[in-house]
Amino acid sequence: MNPTLTRLRRILVMVPWLLEHPGAGVEEVAARFDVTVEDVLDDLDVLGYCGLPGYGGGDLIEASVSGGQVVVRMAEFFARPLALSMREGLSLLLAGRAARASGVLGEDLSDGPLSTAIAKLEDHLGAQAEVPVALDVEAGGADVLSQLWPAVRDRRLVHLVYRSSSKDETTSRAVEPWTLRSVGGAWYLQGFCRSAKAQRSFRLDRILQIEVGEERVTAPPEEEVGPPVYRPSPHDPRVVVEVAPRATWISDRVVLDDRAPAADGWTRLEFRAATLDWAVRLVMRLGEGARVVEPPDLARMVAERATAVLALYDHGTGPN
Amino acid sequence: MIALRETRRPLTVEQINEKVAGYGGHRDDAWRRMFERDKADLRDLGVPLRTERLDRFDETLGYRIAPDDYDLHSVQLDPAELTALALAVQLTGLADDAAPALDKLAVDAGLAGEQRAVRRLPLALGLDAPNRTVLTEALTTRRRVSFVYRKVADDATTAARRRVAPHALLHHRGRWYLRGVDTDRRAERTFRLDRIEGSVKLLGEPGEVEIPDTPPDPRDVVPGAAGRPVDAVVLADEGSAWAVARRARGEGSPVEGREGWRRFVLQVRDGEELLGWLSEMGTGVELVAPPDLRARMVLHLKGVLAT
Repeated sequence: MNPTLTRLRRILVMVPWLLEHPGAGVEEVAARFDVTVEDVLDDLDVLGYCGLPGYGGGDLIEASVSGGQVVVRMAEFFARPLALSMREGLSLLLAGRAARASGVLGEDLSDGPLSTAIAKLEDHLGAQAEVPVALDVEAGGADVLSQLWPAVRDRRLVHLVYRSSSKDETTSRAVEPWTLRSVGGAWYLQGFCRSAKAQRSFRLDRILQIEVGEERVTAPPEEEVGPPVYRPSPHDPRVVVEVAPRATWISDRVVLDDRAPAADGWTRLEFRAATLDWAVRLVMRLGEGARVVEPPDLARMVAERATAVLALYDHGTGPN
Repeated sequence: MIALRETRRPLTVEQINEKVAGYGGHRDDAWRRMFERDKADLRDLGVPLRTERLDRFDETLGYRIAPDDYDLHSVQLDPAELTALALAVQLTGLADDAAPALDKLAVDAGLAGEQRAVRRLPLALGLDAPNRTVLTEALTTRRRVSFVYRKVADDATTAARRRVAPHALLHHRGRWYLRGVDTDRRAERTFRLDRIEGSVKLLGEPGEVEIPDTPPDPRDVVPGAAGRPVDAVVLADEGSAWAVARRARGEGSPVEGREGWRRFVLQVRDGEELLGWLSEMGTGVELVAPPDLRARMVLHLKGVLAT
């Protein structure tokens, strides 16, 4: 939105308040509307040139500051804030409904003021509120969330027992928690891992145990924390697999370096994997829908793993 | 804007040109462009600009803002409600559209500025997606839409323009989907919003689309989420039990003759997904029932070896 429109939007919410609070201090106005005192003075200046066509003495809005106090008169046509636009109203309603459905704000808030606020909004928006939007905000690890959230909120050191997704190993870690985020259907904890001495992301559905410590920690401002996604590095192993038509969906799950048609209508995908262990699990998941081209180590690891699991089914208990 | 609001009779383009300061009475192309831009800007802000006939006898079109359209009707949130909504906006990442609404409601409640006093939560639900608002608008006004859709097909990704009568927006497992009738293929389809290229265009006139009364359950129409739930029995060793327990929502029971193993019952909607997940976990899990799923599991594993 261009600066002129941003200003107009601000003026349109500011004027109704100024009309109801004659003589408000200019600093208070700036603080309430989250702008500088200069911005407020500029806004008032602009306002002073507005009015009914004719633009004579009795037609113009009176806007002035004297002794640090703001007075606006002759602006009765702006006595009310501008009605909510459809997208504003529905976005707010959606935010409210999603927050309630996620359950992360706690029962006191979700069943109390959040619910009554949603009801008032629905009432206000009328038929618009019946827009067919279905939300299923369930994400993997939601059950761990209620345990972890108080620690993140109060910035307390947490001790995790974690099953790594890139290496098949379980480790204990001390983590300074920064944020919790839901990305692509899974919850992640981001923070500083003291064991690795670096920033790390942990998928909540891979956390086995949580213990919240007494120690208070600090966190960087949220802007500095990037989203918890895998960023391929040139040092990571390069993997080439061919996938059947029904398995091409995995191209959405990896960061592709290359993609090309292969024999039998299959697709050849080239990408980097955080570790070969991670790639083994991906190929195991796809079954006969994937064949490993490179590296040879990966093909060997997959064959070993599949053979070992099959042995379990040969000698396993079977239905019982 | 003030002129348009205070008039009872719609103002013609010529009248606006003469009366409004800044337009200066020049009637050239440059002015006309400026007027069109200002009009679009006002509509962007949500100013309810009406285009109407001047009166019963005159078919000339003019512009007007009806005060009743313009004024926010009182919602009267109390401070706790305003705070709760402010938290919800933060949590969902929908501030671009929702924060201006919150500002207006704060003034309406006599609480200007208090919605910003909410402490920033280290928590994000990430609900925003490109084209979400324009599709919501299409649903509300019951208009058809068109967009370029990327389809991941057998050999290559293809992109084609699709025309759709929207029925519902669905959010499932971190993704947004549009459900509607593809009017060229005359069939109901589900589209992923993250596979739409560029912007969605609104087509036709408001009110053209008939929307079913209740939106479908995302689990019924989102690919991979379908299926009638069946009970599956899974055995897991000490190293894997925690992960299976999480899906089973239970502690499980000991397995006779297998030290450290536990037996779990899982509700499964998507058998294919279960087989994939269990294969990833390796030798720490065994699928015991139902027998047909167990047989498919063996086939799946043999498939891994065959390729």
